[in-house]
Amino acid sequence: MNDTPLPRVFLVDDHALIRAGLHAELAGSFEIIGEADEVGAAIEMIIERSPDVVLLDVHMPDGGGLAVLEGVTKTSPAVKFLALSVSDAAEDVIAIIRAGARGYVTKNIEGPELVEAIIRTAGGDAVFSRRLAGFVLDAFSQEGDSSGAAPRPLDPELDQLTPREIEVLRLIARGYSYKEIAARLEISIKTVESHVSAVLRKLQLSNRHQLTNWATERRLL
Amino acid sequence: MLGGVCSGIAKRFGVQARTVRIVAVISALFLASGAALYMAMWIAITRQGEDTSIFTRTSSDKREKEILFVVSIAVITFLIALRTLGLHALGLFLWLLTLSALEGLMVWRGASSDEREHLRTLADSSAVRTTTKSDSWLGVAIRTGVGVVFAIWGISFLSRVGYEQGAAAYVIVGAAALVLGLFVLFAPWWVRTVRDLSYERRARLRAQDRADMAAHVHDSVMQTLSLIQRAADNPAEVTRLARIQERDLRIWLANPETFGTSTNPPTSLAQSALEIEREIEDNYGVGVDVVVVADIALDDSVNALLAAGREATLNAAKWSGANSISLYIEAEPNQVSMFIRDQGKGFDLGQVPDDRQGIARSIIERMHRYDGTAVIRSTPGNGTEVELHMPRRVHSE
Repeated sequence: MNDTPLPRVFLVDDHALIRAGLHAELAGSFEIIGEADEVGAAIEMIIERSPDVVLLDVHMPDGGGLAVLEGVTKTSPAVKFLALSVSDAAEDVIAIIRAGARGYVTKNIEGPELVEAIIRTAGGDAVFSRRLAGFVLDAFSQEGDSSGAAPRPLDPELDQLTPREIEVLRLIARGYSYKEIAARLEISIKTVESHVSAVLRKLQLSNRHQLTNWATERRLL
Repeated sequence: MLGGVCSGIAKRFGVQARTVRIVAVISALFLASGAALYMAMWIAITRQGEDTSIFTRTSSDKREKEILFVVSIAVITFLIALRTLGLHALGLFLWLLTLSALEGLMVWRGASSDEREHLRTLADSSAVRTTTKSDSWLGVAIRTGVGVVFAIWGISFLSRVGYEQGAAAYVIVGAAALVLGLFVLFAPWWVRTVRDLSYERRARLRAQDRADMAAHVHDSVMQTLSLIQRAADNPAEVTRLARIQERDLRIWLANPETFGTSTNPPTSLAQSALEIEREIEDNYGVGVDVVVVADIALDDSVNALLAAGREATLNAAKWSGANSISLYIEAEPNQVSMFIRDQGKGFDLGQVPDDRQGIARSIIERMHRYDGTAVIRSTPGNGTEVELHMPRRVHSE
């Protein structure tokens, strides 16, 4: 171990088994400063202990991860959230990202990848899983959906992804790690990270109404 | 029940409250005299636990007296106006009704605070309100007023039937006015009843949903769990069972109504992709993680692409040694692409064993037949990616 303190992580999940598993996986790499199994307690403890990263379950009783996120960011906007879930509907994932989560990973993520994702979140970068990248590409896609509807352009000024950003998202969706993407596109990992962060920003700022429309008309996977 | 007058009288004279009430209701039906009497007693008699009656309170307050006076004058003027318009027949009934209404006003103004509270809860549950909260009192008052006027009008017409000419017309107009009045009065109550019924129906539907959920969980998840317990010493089998169950549950959660009914062939890109996932996971115990961007309908070239993609996935499942395969499919306006990636052992494209060569060739040939392209990228130790692109026909919709 080196001198820099370990990032302080807080776990929120209503399943004790999952928390125990995460605890075991993360204990060596982070300082786990607490865990909560329900929304109210989570908000209180997170505000009190101000962790670097909160690992947040999307689906919980009483409003789920979204409620925690909204409850905490009102008073402590500096806390960073990484959403963690089994497999969710597009609208839930997009909602939690728009509410301010820095990323979304599925629970079948491998241990080392999760560690990397948390470190990335702590550093203020965005973490996109394959599924989230797919959702985003789908939301910004110009292609009509299965009902044959007309293309759904989002807010044209703010919401267009650059060709490079689309390229990066596609590689993520294809299963490439940031490192592999950097090698493939012959750019630095830092540049990959900044592309992904830009996409996250666009996602959080884009025209709310249309993105919600998109999410509700999708029932992917 | 209303002002507690009946039970008060009953207590005073030692009879049952119910008897007094029945007498009161019957007398109320006779030209409203009972109602007027009831209200008068309500005003005059001191409420139990209070030291002054409504009458003493009202008559000792100058402002209250003024209000009462002004309203009475207005109402009486209105009645006289009605009379000149030809409503003679009502006579006594109308006057008594008016008297009761004025007494009612006096009760409302002069009621003590907890009596008023009691009246308010009574009013909240009365028939002329649609909901207990969102209705404005002004709206209720106007609606009730309009309803009562129409009803009285209707009754007055009907009561003249006997001794005037044109009886048929009177009956029709009178009945219509009465019905309209009653409708205006009781429509809110009717709306409320209907709405309560639909709430109930929805609650039943939700209960039904829960029952379906429980049944499904029992049928599939419990069975799988018991299978998993039996296969506890066989990790590969446990993984396979868990994967099947997970996928099953996911599809069911996303679309419970079509679940189990779709044994027919898939009709869209995303459905076909899920079909590939199911086949490979069930037969090879390797996870297939599918991400689809922009679902489209199937046609010959898309089917060819899917067949080639399936082959590539199968190949990865058989040979790569990886425990999961990433499948990414994207439909763009001009092409559909499919990427099959594993992080298994990979191979040297130069020295492929013959059987693998054959599969690779069949993938490429399938794609070429529809003007598509296939690229296979692999390095030993670093996994394999098969990249397929199929141009889309210009669709004439």
